Amino acid sequence: MDFTITSEVVDKVAKLKLTGELDSLSARVFQKEIEKVALESPTELVLDLENLSFMSSAGLRVLIFSKQKMGVGLTIYIVKPQEIIVDTLEKTGLQHSVNIVDQYPV
Amino acid sequence: MELKTFPATIDSLDAIRQYVKEKSQEAGVDKKATYNLLVAVDEIATNIILYGYQNTGLEGNIDVFSEATPTQFKVIFEDDATPFDPTTRELPDEEDFNLPLEERPIGGLGIYLTITGVSDFSYEYKNNRNRNIFVVDIKSP
Repeated sequence: MDFTITSEVVDKVAKLKLTGELDSLSARVFQKEIEKVALESPTELVLDLENLSFMSSAGLRVLIFSKQKMGVGLTIYIVKPQEIIVDTLEKTGLQHSVNIVDQYPV
Repeated sequence: MELKTFPATIDSLDAIRQYVKEKSQEAGVDKKATYNLLVAVDEIATNIILYGYQNTGLEGNIDVFSEATPTQFKVIFEDDATPFDPTTRELPDEEDFNLPLEERPIGGLGIYLTITGVSDFSYEYKNNRNRNIFVVDIKSP
């Protein structure tokens, strides 16, 4: 399944919408997008994962990379992830470092 | 055993996942266990493609074998790249998982998800080939 990503940064809030399957190939696209929005030094990163159906460890690594790139002040919101992706986040302890929410603004 | 061969390139990841998904569903593996298997095969296929072939400048294939019994679904990847045993990789532990994101080591997550995502994962080097073996126990409905 094709992976697509869109992003916008408004008032220091970076919003990214990911659709499709996030594997090692598409994680490169995700990382490039993170690098792009990082240039605007956002304080909040909002990832809309409602239509993301697969996430490999490459996707998790980009999440970790985001925090390392944009600094400890960055708050990460994950909006409407599918249950199976929440499982992966929980299994790897990443749910402690992100906010899983049903909508943004919360 | 059924066999399907894929070129060992990063573009094959999607096709490998779709193929394993189809076989897993045919075998009667439930949705969640199939998903976890797909995460596992994706991790190992990525390693074979990137570290076995691409980074060493080699070209080759991944042979994907699969076999189902009423109680078990098995997938075996075989390749001719340099011997590499993913199970020797150091796994992240509970302590790493509790670290704040900015201090977490970035490696090891993939093999962790592989091992925890299937009922049994093993590796062997046999007849000059890497063999990565994934076994999923099928729960009776």
